[in-house]
Amino acid sequence: MSTTAPAEAPVRTPPLTRRRAHRPATRRPLTGLLFVAPTAVVVAGLFLAPLGILVYMSFTDWPLLGSPTPNGLDNYRQLGDDDQFTGAITFTLLYTAITTVVLFAVAFVLVAISNSPRRGARFYRTAYFLPYVVGTAAASSMWWVDSHDELGVFNRLLQAVGLIDRPIGLLATPGKALGTVIALVVWKFIGFQVIVLLVGLQSIPGEYYEAAMVDGASVWQRLRYVTFPGLKPTLALLTVLSVTGSLLAFDQFFVLTHGGPDNSTVTVVLALYNKAFQSYRLGNAAAEAVVLLVALIILNVVQLRLLRSRDREE
Amino acid sequence: MAPGLPRHRAASALAAVTVALAMTACGGGSDNSSGSGNPDDGSQLTMWVRSATDQFSQRLVDEYNASHKNHISLTIIPNDNYLTKVGAAAGSHTLPDILASDVVYTPNYTKQGLFQDLTEEIKSLPFYSSIAKSHLDVATYQGKIYAVPHKLDSSVLFYNKDLFRKAGLDPEKPPKNFAEILDYARKITALGNGITGFDIAGSCGGCGVYTLFPYAWAAGVEPLPDNGTKVNINNDTFKQIFGLYRQLTEEKLVASSDKTQDGSTWPNNFLAGKVGMLALGSPIVGALQQQKIFEWGVTPLMAPDGSDTATFIGGDVAGISVSSKHKAQAWDFLKWTLEENQQVEIIAKNGDLPGRTDLSGNKYTAADPRTKLIADGLAKGHTPFALPFGDLFNNPNGPWVETIRGAIYGPDLDKALAEGQEKIQKGLDAAS
Amino acid sequence: MSSSTLAPRRTVRRHGGPLQRATRTAAYHVFSAAVAIAFLFPLVWAALNSVKDRDEANRQPPTWFPHSFSLENYRNLQSFDQGIGVYLRNSIVVSALTVVGSVVVCVLGGYGFARFRFPGKNALFGTTLAILMVPYATILLPLYILLSKIGMLNTLIGLALVLVMFQLPFGIFMMRNSFESVPRELEEAALVDGCTDFGAMWRISARIVAPGVVTVALFSFLIAWNEFLAPLFILNDGRKYTLPVMLVNIRYASFNILDVGALQAGVVVAMVPCLVVYLALQRFYVSGLVAGALRG
Repeated sequence: MSTTAPAEAPVRTPPLTRRRAHRPATRRPLTGLLFVAPTAVVVAGLFLAPLGILVYMSFTDWPLLGSPTPNGLDNYRQLGDDDQFTGAITFTLLYTAITTVVLFAVAFVLVAISNSPRRGARFYRTAYFLPYVVGTAAASSMWWVDSHDELGVFNRLLQAVGLIDRPIGLLATPGKALGTVIALVVWKFIGFQVIVLLVGLQSIPGEYYEAAMVDGASVWQRLRYVTFPGLKPTLALLTVLSVTGSLLAFDQFFVLTHGGPDNSTVTVVLALYNKAFQSYRLGNAAAEAVVLLVALIILNVVQLRLLRSRDREE
Repeated sequence: MAPGLPRHRAASALAAVTVALAMTACGGGSDNSSGSGNPDDGSQLTMWVRSATDQFSQRLVDEYNASHKNHISLTIIPNDNYLTKVGAAAGSHTLPDILASDVVYTPNYTKQGLFQDLTEEIKSLPFYSSIAKSHLDVATYQGKIYAVPHKLDSSVLFYNKDLFRKAGLDPEKPPKNFAEILDYARKITALGNGITGFDIAGSCGGCGVYTLFPYAWAAGVEPLPDNGTKVNINNDTFKQIFGLYRQLTEEKLVASSDKTQDGSTWPNNFLAGKVGMLALGSPIVGALQQQKIFEWGVTPLMAPDGSDTATFIGGDVAGISVSSKHKAQAWDFLKWTLEENQQVEIIAKNGDLPGRTDLSGNKYTAADPRTKLIADGLAKGHTPFALPFGDLFNNPNGPWVETIRGAIYGPDLDKALAEGQEKIQKGLDAAS
Repeated sequence: MSSSTLAPRRTVRRHGGPLQRATRTAAYHVFSAAVAIAFLFPLVWAALNSVKDRDEANRQPPTWFPHSFSLENYRNLQSFDQGIGVYLRNSIVVSALTVVGSVVVCVLGGYGFARFRFPGKNALFGTTLAILMVPYATILLPLYILLSKIGMLNTLIGLALVLVMFQLPFGIFMMRNSFESVPRELEEAALVDGCTDFGAMWRISARIVAPGVVTVALFSFLIAWNEFLAPLFILNDGRKYTLPVMLVNIRYASFNILDVGALQAGVVVAMVPCLVVYLALQRFYVSGLVAGALRG
């Protein structure tokens, strides 16, 4: 019943822009603090505190056993020497760009399918979403076996439909490995994007479309002047989530390719992980982590500002 | 800020002294004397092993728990994450009582001071002189021994006798040199039907050292001379070794999936009866003995010209971590695992190799001429030693894997070896 | 709260005669079904494989339809390391703790952010969102150190707390937006009638934001159930490990002899509860997104 609240909102308050109702501030800020106290405790204790330790680690030489010794900015200065890390930055950016584009492209197609009033749309929507529900470790293990030349089914499938005539080593070259990982990511995460886009679509009032049609707008014009503007906040949210998620990609690369072949699919977080737990250079890894975190914060702040200001121009 | 250098040196010297003091305090056995009282006093102990030794270790622990008051709870950790766990636990002093460690990683651990000194205890064992020296060597640092053998394995060349017969080869005459390997591989691959003559793990560093180093050792070449401070792979012997593998690949005498084989399904094709020859190791003997698909044989890994043979003695050692407060009890377990009954009835009986050379003739190992061959081959065994071994050789993103792939699949074998040598040397220099 | 809210509300003008409409409908279904099959295939395949007997499951190349039917792979899971029962139990405990913890913290916190002004509000909210931007593999080690210092290391509760922390950005964001969409008049009326703030939240808003709560609960469950690195790191005792850790152990077991059947069976066991929970809660989850996440 209450989910019709958005539709009942007065038309003059567009549900798309964030406008807080002008209410007098609650007279009891203390109560507010009480409500957010558990949040504050968890954030302070389990996020800020370890973050502090991480920052401290980045300024020390942290051996496996024994006391850490402060070494100033040495770890940061050595960042440039870590080829795997710097190479990973390029790869991660490339991966992010490709994945974001592919995700949006496929999402639009699937949204078109799922948004149809035809019967079965709900079934299709559920089918597209189900992989999201499976864990990344399980999904990656599954895909790893499935991609195997002898043990796996993907090659058999491709052979059965006649696209190839012998197993092609889906993880054997940098291009194929990247392609397989992107296929896994699309398979797993597209459902979430579809649902979010669908919800965004639903929040565009029907009256806008009717008005456009009365004005004689074609399908493309409706898309351009009603749908896309209406979807802006949704697209903004999805972009931020998708980009951040891709920049921080780790699980799928760790399980599926382990950075191979020939270190061609090493992402920033994987390089970090190797530095910390293969080479045991914990101080250097901490410095890299701090740099990554700062970069992400800046990136997200910039993104949000850009998207928010475009939003306000409406 | 004052110039960091003098302060840094003083601080690290202080740290080193602290660690050294801590080590001697624990290693002296002052309050954990194994002499007073019975160490089997119902203590609760923790032990960590890699998933590669899961059943092996579990058998030992289960039997110990059943026959002793002490109780060991065994935690099995995925191979890929073992280093991570150990690193994290070391950093916060929460290591388990007993810690198993792959032999190639052990020099790093002993140098970092993760284990307690066991020199006295080990040397006082009546069978001390027959404990696998290779394992004791990797666990020795600055004259002190820190761990005992836990699991021993040895690399060897397996071959499928049925496929040999079908290809017109004598099943009792395994290849004795590279020329024969190539020739036999051709004949077996000609059988068709998805059968290949050989099997390579093309993306696996550990597999590479395990099976390629013995070829070199047999030819008298040491890839890691001078106690692991130098690397020597840019030479004719390795050119021959990689040359063979390159040719096997080019002539399609190996499965196409070998190129991305990271070791996790390495023996699968052979165990399914689809491969003629496979260089691997004793750990799959148990599985081979159980399968009924084909008859199998073994032969030692040889020099390219067949003049000699050698093997990589690998596996795990087990030591008592520096965080442990149960040294006497933990030692009780370790000592127990080395005793004859356990070595024969638990370890050898299940197809694994005993960690003591005086027991290599035991009834189970001797019953099967193949396991006997492997056990006898230990006499020509080597275990490489280098401080950053894991990081350089086992690391899937490290320079050795890069070298292997460049040498076998890349355009220029010589260049791959030269560059690989340089990178690995750089890594060795950085670590010492 | 049916998901018919996702049915488009605009009318669709239909062009063309019945034959063209039928063709378009057929094309729609063929295409959509093909895509759906592609999406569902790996999941179905894992299930099919898991009920072959062990030898057939490990055959290469794999057989299409099972020639044998056996629960051998599942039985083997019972004797794998600690036995799947142990891992299942641990996963259930951790998930339950995480869900309860997330819901409590996020509902309270979301209400606080939505309805009150207090010093540090924006800072706290921003910091909470910043959790998303940290590659959690990097703070696992500091978390490990911290937890060991407060004695929470190697405990399921400690693990659950960490997982709750990872849930906060999404959960707080959701709940705050959910509460904001509740008309203030209702609460004001309740407050005037003498309810406490907590009472107002509980009685009035809670029912309205129930879909949001269910969404938060669902996501917490999914993450807690599927999380791999955190349990591996924080738990030292093999008897406390959760299902995902068992899965990875199967993959790297006994010197690289991979039992594909066991792995697939393990994947199925890990998958099925998620699918069941999701399908059961689907309608709530979707409505939750409508009411909560997309408001601004």
